[in-house]
Amino acid sequence: MAAILTPDVIALLDSAETIKILATVDANGAPDAVEKPSLHHGGDGTIHVLEFLETSAANRNLTHAIWFGGSVSIALHGADGHRVQIKGRPVKLHITGPLFQKHYVRARETLGDVDLAGVWVIEPDEVIDERFEKVRAREDAAHPDFIHLDRIAV
Amino acid sequence: MVALLKEIYRAEPSFDEVLAEHPRFPRLIARKIDVQRRGVHYTEAAEKAVDPAVHQLRSPYIFGSRDGEIKPLPESLLLRDGTTILVDPTPLDQNPYVVDYRDGRFVLLDDGQRVEEVDLWPKPSYYDKLTTSGLPMSHIVSARPQRLNVFQSSFCYFWADKEGCQFCDIVTHTKQQRDEIGVPNRLRPEDVKETVAEAIKEPGRFTNLCLTAGSVTKGKEIFDLEVEFYIELLQAIGENFRTKKFPSQLIASAFNEKQLARLYNETGLTSYTTDLEVLNEELFGWICPGKARQVGYQGWKQRLVNAVDIFGRGNVGTGIVGGVETAQPSGFKSEHDALQSTLAEADWLAARGVTTVYIVWVPRPGSAFRDQKAPSLDYFIRLAKGLQDIRASHGLKVDFDDYRRCGNHPDSDLARLQ
Ligand code: SF4
Repeated sequence: MAAILTPDVIALLDSAETIKILATVDANGAPDAVEKPSLHHGGDGTIHVLEFLETSAANRNLTHAIWFGGSVSIALHGADGHRVQIKGRPVKLHITGPLFQKHYVRARETLGDVDLAGVWVIEPDEVIDERFEKVRAREDAAHPDFIHLDRIAV
Repeated sequence: MVALLKEIYRAEPSFDEVLAEHPRFPRLIARKIDVQRRGVHYTEAAEKAVDPAVHQLRSPYIFGSRDGEIKPLPESLLLRDGTTILVDPTPLDQNPYVVDYRDGRFVLLDDGQRVEEVDLWPKPSYYDKLTTSGLPMSHIVSARPQRLNVFQSSFCYFWADKEGCQFCDIVTHTKQQRDEIGVPNRLRPEDVKETVAEAIKEPGRFTNLCLTAGSVTKGKEIFDLEVEFYIELLQAIGENFRTKKFPSQLIASAFNEKQLARLYNETGLTSYTTDLEVLNEELFGWICPGKARQVGYQGWKQRLVNAVDIFGRGNVGTGIVGGVETAQPSGFKSEHDALQSTLAEADWLAARGVTTVYIVWVPRPGSAFRDQKAPSLDYFIRLAKGLQDIRASHGLKVDFDDYRRCGNHPDSDLARLQ
């Protein structure tokens, strides 16, 4: 069941100010994390990632994930400090057709003489609020014993 | 024969049973293989949902299809990982996969079960245009999702000598295309140049060009005339590009070094393929009698190796008709032996810089092998994996013939992870 992207997460995905990291693993489990400014909301609850390099580690790892049911992680850090992690699965790669062409044209208009290898569609499975106060509140609630005693000393 | 085919597929281990033996083989590529092996049938709902303004309908092709007909059906399919499936419409009684249209999507069914969502190939914008000479551009240059195909002539002189390859239906199909839809026997370079110019106006659609045709044995030296035709054509196409070289593949006869050097130096061609079709000297003699008599298996191989010196490692390939090595009565009796022998030869070639790719053998009605049966899905999976492993172990790339540039080779689909 795909996770729902709330309007604040969609805003984070679509903001040019947001730092966007895509983390994938290869066939041997080796991780790869790369900044992907091209990552954005697909408009239908999915996330789209423009891949400019056919043989990049991310592109190969996404292929491995779609072939073998693997997942990816996306970390977003907004200008206002809002931090979110999205776990999801690549479900489709567009290498031709109207969606691909739209991005190809736009990418070349905005970035100059670039090529586009494909547009990946990621379906989100889980959206985790990673703001520190939220993470800490979750940790405190789940593990109240994890605390240095000096913090509760009289 | 038809009823027999149905029984044979049903008696085989199921798709899932075969895949269970290959947990590290991508399911989508296995599905592609199986769809190519068994063909597809479009339901009425699917046919109705096809929009000729949006979807690419079947265009002239060098080889025929397994229903032996030319009908305005979709050209072919794309899987959700971007994998191309080149597949023919197939009569229902041969137990093909079924393409249906359900809930606004095209889906692939096996035995009534939905197994994948599929896309039809998008129609390129030049397909509706005519050349100045009045020919439909789709008859001059045909499209794949990312490639332009130029089938310069669909006559093969090996057929004239009654020595055509036994799996091939090129001449039967040419006659049918000429009679039914008016495809010219031979293309004029100016028509091709004009069509390519129009095609590449579409942004983000095409990544390379592929030229192929039947063999022309005529000339002072064998194939001289064929080389001449290609040089003329490639030079005309090259006028559309600002760089001397443009991403391109020529699949042609086994040319000698002088002919290859001319092709490389006088045109923008970047890669060269000449098909051995079957990697076994004895079977080559039986299956490709014309090639065997006029050049020979060892001669064909040597010409491939020589081509590496001219086009460079990773830019020279040979195609095989995967599975034809099991054709009877002279082919391998066991799939195991067929695989061992084929992979050993592919390894020999890879060590010398020649990459081997296969297409799934489909016994076509217009070919001498029309009543044969292709091997099992398990065989094609092992062949794909074997060829890709060989390529990777020799550090050979296959950029000119990969999942985007070509899309017809399950083994080079696997190179996406290389
Ligand atoms: S060389 Fe063989 S496969 Fe190629 S067109 Fe001629 S007969 Fe057909």
